[in-house]
Amino acid sequence: MDALCRLLAENLEPAEIYTPYPVHGALRALKRRSKLSWAAWFYGFFGGIAILAFLYYTAVIDWPLNYGGKPFNAFPSFIIITLVLIILVVTILTLLTFSLRAKIFPFKKAEILDERATDDKFIIVFDAGHVNRDQLYASLREAEAEEIIEK
Amino acid sequence: MSYAAEIRGPLVLGNKKLSQVSADIIAPVGERPGKWWYAGMFIASLMLVYGAYALYITFTVGIGSWNVNNSVGWGWEIINFVWWIGIGHAGTAFSIFLLLLRQTWRTSINRAAEAMTVAAVLCAALFPLIHMGRPWLFFFIAPYPNTRGPLWVNYNSPLFWDFIAISAYLLISASFWYLGMIPDFATIRDKATTRIKKAVYSVLSFGWTGSSREWIRYEATGFILGGIAAVLVVSVHSIVSTDFASSVIPGWHTTLFPPYFVVGAIFSGFAMVMTLMILIRNIYRFHDYITNRHLDAIARILVFISLIMGTAYLTELFMAWYSGNEYEGFLIFGNRVTGDYAFQFWAMFICNAIIPQLFWSKKIRQNLTIAFIISLIINLGMWYERFNIIVTSLSRSYLPSTWVTYHPTFIEVGIYVGTIGLFTAAVLLFFRYVPMIAIHEVKSVLKHNEIEHGMIEPNTGEQ
Repeated sequence: MDALCRLLAENLEPAEIYTPYPVHGALRALKRRSKLSWAAWFYGFFGGIAILAFLYYTAVIDWPLNYGGKPFNAFPSFIIITLVLIILVVTILTLLTFSLRAKIFPFKKAEILDERATDDKFIIVFDAGHVNRDQLYASLREAEAEEIIEK
Repeated sequence: MSYAAEIRGPLVLGNKKLSQVSADIIAPVGERPGKWWYAGMFIASLMLVYGAYALYITFTVGIGSWNVNNSVGWGWEIINFVWWIGIGHAGTAFSIFLLLLRQTWRTSINRAAEAMTVAAVLCAALFPLIHMGRPWLFFFIAPYPNTRGPLWVNYNSPLFWDFIAISAYLLISASFWYLGMIPDFATIRDKATTRIKKAVYSVLSFGWTGSSREWIRYEATGFILGGIAAVLVVSVHSIVSTDFASSVIPGWHTTLFPPYFVVGAIFSGFAMVMTLMILIRNIYRFHDYITNRHLDAIARILVFISLIMGTAYLTELFMAWYSGNEYEGFLIFGNRVTGDYAFQFWAMFICNAIIPQLFWSKKIRQNLTIAFIISLIINLGMWYERFNIIVTSLSRSYLPSTWVTYHPTFIEVGIYVGTIGLFTAAVLLFFRYVPMIAIHEVKSVLKHNEIEHGMIEPNTGEQ
């Protein structure tokens, strides 16, 4: 964390970092944001409207059936099923969105920079074309980087 | 000047380094297990064979091979359905409620709890399916445009809600469990020494690399699924309870049912988590990860929920008397507290409301043999609770000429034994092929652990 903050203070913007677990401070420092919660809200809101419309169409318009004298559009007793279906819709669509945005999907071949990143090493990657090489090396040594590898 | 009191012990013992955590947890994955594993699998397979035979008879002969009848229309199958779905609530309760409440002690336990959830919900889903009589037509319950009208389903029916809720629950709990494992599969992939292991875990890890862009979306997805699944946990068992509560059967027609069922489900699930965690801790020597503190926390939760259960039982008795409803009074006092099914009632009461009170004693909470036995007793008690609810109410209907005493047949017992075999086999496979503790989550609490217990000086306070 200290190393990352120091590098950022010197305007050395990393291309990416790889960590064995989510380091929240680092994600904040790099200004990484996810709009997934907005997407989920959107799915839930419009999914809910679509579900209620479906219930109304099937139970009132397409084939009305009288269940124990209840009105065809028995809205209060539709609430539970609407809620559960919203949960189902939000789950499926959020998982698909996650898969698309984070590019995590079955049979994807991982682009592994260093196999130790999923074990115990914290990797900061810089794009050689975007930073001053000498300044970067000096800063990395100052930040006590364990290894510096050029690829 | 500051004063720090040691309220809680460390979450992970042994002053572990990150690489040690990976190495310790990965060690048993994919390796040849001990003889106990093969013995367990053999017994589970025998149970599965019995279950498969019972299912074969059920499919070919029909549900006439069961002892359910016009009066007791829901016998062992619905008892076992509710029992399994109750056990299946712990994984989600553990992971999701504790995730949303940001309880760091969940990290060593959630993986096993979620695995157990998926196995238990699979077992539970079997029962409503076979109860339909013609299970090959089960898709009739889905609302789809069909050639029968189209005749849509009844959206007012709790049985339909149940179908959707359980399907959603299975999907969410399985995807939440799998999502949690992706970074851990990547760790196994990157540390694998054999080509086969590397290839298998490469596929399972979905190309995970641990970049910040992956982590930020991963965590957001976890929270979203957790947030909505928390609602689902409460609604699934409330819906199961409305299968009963929306009827006019004495002992079922009560507003107490939804909270009573949800709490009961979490009770049996936590007891099963305790059973499993004690097994995992002792078999794989994960003492540093599943500490006495973890088990102590589960025991404290159990004693608290046990008090709620006791209160619910007493509320049922009180309302049967206070309401002045003669059918309710007859059922509760004549057919539960006393009568043919008194044994099942008192077994339920003692196992769920009395015996767990032993956990008030710190000595008992720390004696893992006794804790293990109590956790099994709770699950037995919860099974009796479902028997009590279903059979006692149905065996004495409003028409005395239809009164019967219900016993299961060999086939009904076989289906139940088969699901226990399925659950055991699933858990044993989980022990062998999947990291039993969430590696990346344990790593993320190490720093917190060190700061809280003075192993290092806090710096930015962010990690």
